[in-house]
Amino acid sequence: MGLDRRGFVKIVVGGVAGTLFTPVIWKSLDDVSIWSQNWPWIPRLNTGEVKAKAALSKLCPAGCAVKVKTVGGLPFAVAGNTANPMSKGGVCPVCAAGAQLMYSPARVKSPLKKVGEGKFEAIKWEDAEALLVEKLGVLKGQAGKIAAISGDETGTAGEVISGLLGGLGNAGYYMMPSEKFVAEKGVKLMGGSGQPGFDIAGADLVLMIGADALDSWGPTVANQKAFAATRPTGAAATAKFVYAGPVLNHTAAVSDKFLPVPPQATAAFALGLANLLIGAGAVSSASDFAEYKALAAKHTVEEVEKATGLKAESMKELAALIRAAKAPLVIAGASFGQGAGALDFVAGASLNVLLGRVGGGMTLLPAAPRAVGGVGASDKDAASFLAEVSTGKAAPGALIVYAANPAYALPQADDMAKALGNIAFKVSFSTYMDETAALCDLILPAPHPFERYDDVLNPYGVAKPTYLVGAPVVKKPVMDCKDPVDVLLGAAGKLGLTLGFETYADVIKAKAKALGADFDALAAGGIWNGEPKGGALNLGASALAKVAPVTLDSKTLALAPMSNQAYGSATLATPPANLLAVRNTELLGKDLFVQMSADTAKKAGVAEGAKVKLSAGKGEMKARVHLNEGVAPGTVAVLMGFGRSAWDEFTKGKGDNVYKILTVSDEAGTGLKVWAGSTVTVAKI
Amino acid sequence: MDQKLQELWGEVMEEKKQCKGCGGALPFLIGFVAAVIAGWVLFPNLLYSKKVQPVRFSHKIHQEQGMECDSCHAFRDDGSYAGLPKNEKCQECHADVVGSDPAEKVYVEQYGQKGKEVPWLIYQKQPDNVFFSHNAHKEIECGKCHLDVGKTDTPPVYYENRLSGYSKQTMKMWQCERCHAEKAVSNACHVCHK
Ligand code: SF4
Repeated sequence: MGLDRRGFVKIVVGGVAGTLFTPVIWKSLDDVSIWSQNWPWIPRLNTGEVKAKAALSKLCPAGCAVKVKTVGGLPFAVAGNTANPMSKGGVCPVCAAGAQLMYSPARVKSPLKKVGEGKFEAIKWEDAEALLVEKLGVLKGQAGKIAAISGDETGTAGEVISGLLGGLGNAGYYMMPSEKFVAEKGVKLMGGSGQPGFDIAGADLVLMIGADALDSWGPTVANQKAFAATRPTGAAATAKFVYAGPVLNHTAAVSDKFLPVPPQATAAFALGLANLLIGAGAVSSASDFAEYKALAAKHTVEEVEKATGLKAESMKELAALIRAAKAPLVIAGASFGQGAGALDFVAGASLNVLLGRVGGGMTLLPAAPRAVGGVGASDKDAASFLAEVSTGKAAPGALIVYAANPAYALPQADDMAKALGNIAFKVSFSTYMDETAALCDLILPAPHPFERYDDVLNPYGVAKPTYLVGAPVVKKPVMDCKDPVDVLLGAAGKLGLTLGFETYADVIKAKAKALGADFDALAAGGIWNGEPKGGALNLGASALAKVAPVTLDSKTLALAPMSNQAYGSATLATPPANLLAVRNTELLGKDLFVQMSADTAKKAGVAEGAKVKLSAGKGEMKARVHLNEGVAPGTVAVLMGFGRSAWDEFTKGKGDNVYKILTVSDEAGTGLKVWAGSTVTVAKI
Repeated sequence: MDQKLQELWGEVMEEKKQCKGCGGALPFLIGFVAAVIAGWVLFPNLLYSKKVQPVRFSHKIHQEQGMECDSCHAFRDDGSYAGLPKNEKCQECHADVVGSDPAEKVYVEQYGQKGKEVPWLIYQKQPDNVFFSHNAHKEIECGKCHLDVGKTDTPPVYYENRLSGYSKQTMKMWQCERCHAEKAVSNACHVCHK
C-alpha cells in the first residue's frame, strides 16, 4: 500500500484540522502580537528601589534644600524637604523640573574646544585641563590679564576662584548683578555694614516695594512658606502683604493690596510714605532724622501722585495700615532682581529704621569666615567690568566664566556679548550650552546641582546667617563632567599655587568647620543658622538727598522686566516641562507679548496684538502687544527668560530677550550702574 | 469514440481500486493526531528557549542566614514592585568574596567589583505599561502567580518565549482579566494601565 496524492492531501487536511485543536496558531498569533509591541527603541523604565535623597538645589540663586527621588539610583523627580526648616517641604516650579533637567538635550556632554565660529569639537578632559593651565600660565603674574565672572554669590566656589586669581596676580573677580550687591552698598550708605536680612515670618505687615518676594526675590520658597503660614485654612490671615511695583505679578496677585508703582518711582513712593508716617507721628532716634524729615516733606501725596499715578487715598490707607501693624517690614528691590540703585534700597530700608524695625524685622548678617585665603569679589559688577572691556579700559587676556551667562543676562546684552569677543581666551564652566558658553573658546561641562557637592551661605534675604550643603545624589554624573572647583584646584596645583585643598568637598568641609557647623548633618539635608549681628542704621538721608526727581517723558515708556520663576532664569532657560505653563498671551508661536494697560497702549498708538519694536540704547527687540490692566501707567512689562539663542530645540528662538533693551545709567552719588529705571520707545512695525 | 470512453472508464475504476487501499479516513486521522501531538508536545518545547540565571543565586542560603524577603525585595509606596535588588544592596555583604560557594565568586568578580548590574532573568516580568500593585493582591497566595523560588538552592530554569521575548511565567492579560472578572473587580483599562 503506497501513499498516493489523495492520501497525502488527506493527511495534510487532517494535520491542519488537528492543528486547530492545539495552541499553535492561537498562541503564535498572541505571542507575535506581543513581539510587535516591543521594539528596541521604545524607552524602558528603570527599576529599583524608590528613594528620596536629600539634595541642595542651586538651579536659581536662592538655593533650597530639596529631596531628589531616585529609582534604582537614577533621579526622576524632585520633592520638598519637609525636615528643612527653611524650605519646609516646598519646591518651586524650576526645581520641580530639576530631575528632568539632568537629562536635558542642552547639557554640555563633554569638554568642548572651539574650532570655528559656532563650531566645537569634543576633547578629552586631560587635554581640556592642559589647555586651561597653558592659557592661564602664560598670563600668570600680569595684573589685569585674568578675570572671572561668577553668577554664584552664595557658594564657597567663589573663594576658590578669587583665591586662584589672587595667586595668579589678579583681582578681577566680578559678580553678576544681584540684589545683594546693591543692598550691601545701601547698608553702607546708611552707616552700617553687612548683608541685610528680612524676617518675613516674624512680620504682621510686609510691604514689598518692587521686590517680588513670592516669586523671584530672595529665598522664594522660604518666603512663600512664610506667606502661607499667615493664611491658616478656615481662619483669618495673621499678616498683611502689600505689593507696590510696576506689574501685577505673582506676588501682587496673592497680596492683600497691589499698588501700581512705575519702576523709576519706587524711591519717591517710599519717601512719600515716610512723609505720611512722619506726619502721623513717626519719629526716629537716628542722627539724620531731621534731614530725613525735611527730605520726606518734599514728597507730598500730590508729588507722589505725579510720580506714580497713585491717588492720595491709596497712600493714606497704606500709611494707616502700617501704623496699625505691630511688626511691619519693608522690603525694597528691583521687580526683576537686579539693576535697582542703592538709593531705591535705602529709601525702602529707611522706612524700617523709621518704624524702629532694624534688628527685629530687618537684620544685618555678620561677615562669614573664609575657607580659602584671599580677597572676595570686586567692588564692580560684571556689567561694569564688561563695559570697561568694550571701551578697552580693561583688557584681560583670559576670562573664567562660572555659573553665569553674561552674554544673555546683562543690560544691552548684544553689546556685552560683543565685549566678550575682545577677550582672547574665554572658558565657561557651564552645565548647559548657554549663550555665553557658545561664545567661549573652551567649555568645561559642570555637573548639575544634584551631581555635585556645593553649598549656600546666606542667600540674599534670609534674616539670620544660614548655611546649607549638598552632596551628589548620583554616583556618576549623567554627562562626562567634572566639578569646576575640582578642575580649578587641579589647575592651581599645576600652576604652582597651593590653595590648601584638592577637592570642592574638602573646601566645603573646611567652610562648615569654620562656621562651627556639622558637615554630615548639613549634607543630609540639615541647616546651620547663626545669629544676626546687632548694630543700628541711620536713615541714609544724605544719600537720599540725591534721589533724582521722576521725569516723565511722553515719548518713552518705563520698562518693567517681569520675572516668572517657572520660566527659568539668567542661567537656566525655561525647563521643557514648564513651557506648557506659558500662556498664549505671553508667547504665541515665536512672538513674545509685551504688556501694557489700555490707556498706555492708546498713548503709544498701539492696540492688542499689534507688532511692535521696543528700542533703547543700541538694543531693540520685537514683540506683540497684550493689554493688561495690571501694569502700572506709562509702563511696558516684558517677560524675562525668552529670546534664547543657544540651549535646546524647546527654547531656542522663542520670543525676544528683554536684557537687550535695558539701558545702564549712573546712579547719582553712589557710583553704581543702574538699569531698573530703563525707558524704551515703542513703535509699531 | 466508444473505445476512448471505455479506456477512460477503465482508468477511473483502476484509481478507485487503488484508493480503497489508502483506507478512507485513516490518513486524515493520522494527520490529525500527529498535528495534535506536535501542537501540544513539540510546539511548547520549540517555542521556549531555556536559560539559566547569570549567577546561581541560592535563596535557601540567604534564608538560612535569617534574611527575610523584604531584606532585598522592595515595594514602592504604591505597592508596585521595585524590581530585583541592585549591586548596591548585594554589596552590603558581598563587596568581597565572603563564602566558599563558587557562585558568589562569579557574582563578586564578574559583576559587583566591575560595577556591572547582574542581568537577572525575571520569571514574572510584566511590560512597563502594566501597573501591578502587590498591596492590592496580598490576599492571594504567592504561589498562584510565582514560582516557589524561596527555598531553592539553584534558581529554576527560565523559559523564554522565542516569539514574544517574555518569560513563560509572565501572566497574560486574559489571565488578569479572568481573575478580575471572577472576583468582580473592574477590568477597566486604567485599573492596570496608568
Ligand atoms: S527657589 Fe526654586 S529653583 Fe531656586 S533653589 Fe529653590 S526650589 Fe530650586
